Amino acid sequence: MSDWSKVTRPIPVPNEWTKPFWDAARRGVLELQRCQSCGHFQHPPYATCVRCIGTDLKFEAVRGGGAIYAYTIMYHTGDKRFASAVPYASIIVELEAAPGALLAGNLLEAPYTEAKVGRRVEVIFEKLNDDITLPQFRLVRAE
Amino acid sequence: MWDNRCKVAVSGVGFSKVTRSADIPLAAHALEAVKGAVADSGLQMSDIDGLATYPELPATGHAEVDGISVVSVNCMMAMLKLPALTWHIQVGTTNIGGAVQQAVNALLAGVCKYAVVWRAMHNPRGTYQNLPGAYAHGAAQFTAPYGFGGPGQGMAVAYTRWLERNNQNREKMATLAVTQRRHTHHNPHAWFYKVPLSREDYLASRMVAYPFCLFDCDIPVQGAVAIVLTTADRARDLKPKPAYIAGYGQRLHFEVAGRIGSLSSYMEGGSSSAKLTWERSGFSPKDVDVAQIYDGFSASVIYGLESYGFCKEGEALDFIQDGRIELDGELPLNTFGGSLGTGRIHGLWHIIEGALQASGRAGSRQVKDANVSFVGASAPIVTGTTFIFVGEPY
Repeated sequence: MSDWSKVTRPIPVPNEWTKPFWDAARRGVLELQRCQSCGHFQHPPYATCVRCIGTDLKFEAVRGGGAIYAYTIMYHTGDKRFASAVPYASIIVELEAAPGALLAGNLLEAPYTEAKVGRRVEVIFEKLNDDITLPQFRLVRAE
Repeated sequence: MWDNRCKVAVSGVGFSKVTRSADIPLAAHALEAVKGAVADSGLQMSDIDGLATYPELPATGHAEVDGISVVSVNCMMAMLKLPALTWHIQVGTTNIGGAVQQAVNALLAGVCKYAVVWRAMHNPRGTYQNLPGAYAHGAAQFTAPYGFGGPGQGMAVAYTRWLERNNQNREKMATLAVTQRRHTHHNPHAWFYKVPLSREDYLASRMVAYPFCLFDCDIPVQGAVAIVLTTADRARDLKPKPAYIAGYGQRLHFEVAGRIGSLSSYMEGGSSSAKLTWERSGFSPKDVDVAQIYDGFSASVIYGLESYGFCKEGEALDFIQDGRIELDGELPLNTFGGSLGTGRIHGLWHIIEGALQASGRAGSRQVKDANVSFVGASAPIVTGTTFIFVGEPY
């Protein structure tokens, strides 16, 4: 399993568009931008709805269950801050409740070899500091 | 079909020495390539009246210093002091293929007569792709905290999706790496000229970002290439046989920045560009005699072959087997060695090879009787452009 304890992650800097996402994550809630005209969820946040060009966009809570859309296993240690974790799985997740919105994350609490396209995952939260908490993902335990 | 097909041609090509490290300023490489292209065309530098480039440095976390790590139009103007200059441009939404297309448009509009396009690529000291510093701004705030750095990882995630949805095996990519390396043995300008690569070497090489091993990634180098473009009537008066531009296209699809890993966006980007190119030229994939498809990361060739229409989705790794992409195969591919053979110079070298093959000037790697020559000049997703060159105007 990748050792994340010695990794220093770059800290996200929220801006006008993205602040509600990070405010919600700090409270342990996953909120995505949603078009109030057509109901489409999107991520990352954008000026307009990527489906209908609507401009009335609000952040709404969304269930954090989804599937691995794609992934890569990182072996390269060019960035020394991540060197202690290689090989590690960087994954892209498509949420069941927000088709088309793709969230990046790491596959935590499992060996990197468990990353496979289509595998079910759920959101968990990793606190970086008092301001920023990262949405992350782990495998959904078998029933 | 496009009324302007075969009205502009490539009439000269030039290369700088390709080096691994930045021993001399990049401007010197660019100048060497531009001088070479002008000399190849038989023109004098004082004849050149149009300049175009795409001066981006793809290495992240490094300073863009004009003349050192990029070579802008201003830099080239300052060096050449062209007495006849009437037109210039730098492009943003497409890679170097867009600069070539703008030069074609300028020539068609009659605002210049002989345009030079160059691409100069810098290899910075230290790590090529640096993640942002302590903080991740903009689109990177959703990717960098998870260890997503350079474009290689972005392309790698789409590749795993492609592999696993299509029940494919990355080991089949060895055929591309090995075949292109053999082609490189016919290209003395290439970084890997006469450096052998076996299937065993490929399969044993270290992983960088799975599914990419070392030989799926083009090696960062310092170097430049350049072309001279002119109108067809002027091209016929010059020394080299013209390579006529029969059609071109650019990707018409854009993904919101930071949304990475979307395989469909490669496909939509590539197919939108290719559709324009097929319609304008009147050709279809089955008419193509030789193809150059951007291969900065090997999987780009998959997305290219499929989205341009050379094979069906999910079949590209089977398509490249059994000698099909050899110099005497059904679709000779990346006949100059590709970026995997030359080093990371981006798509102008693919355009150069497309032109050389169409005009029968590719030397010992010339594909026999090649006329219809296709180029996909960068990764279809963000900056994709496509071209068809022909040796015989129609």
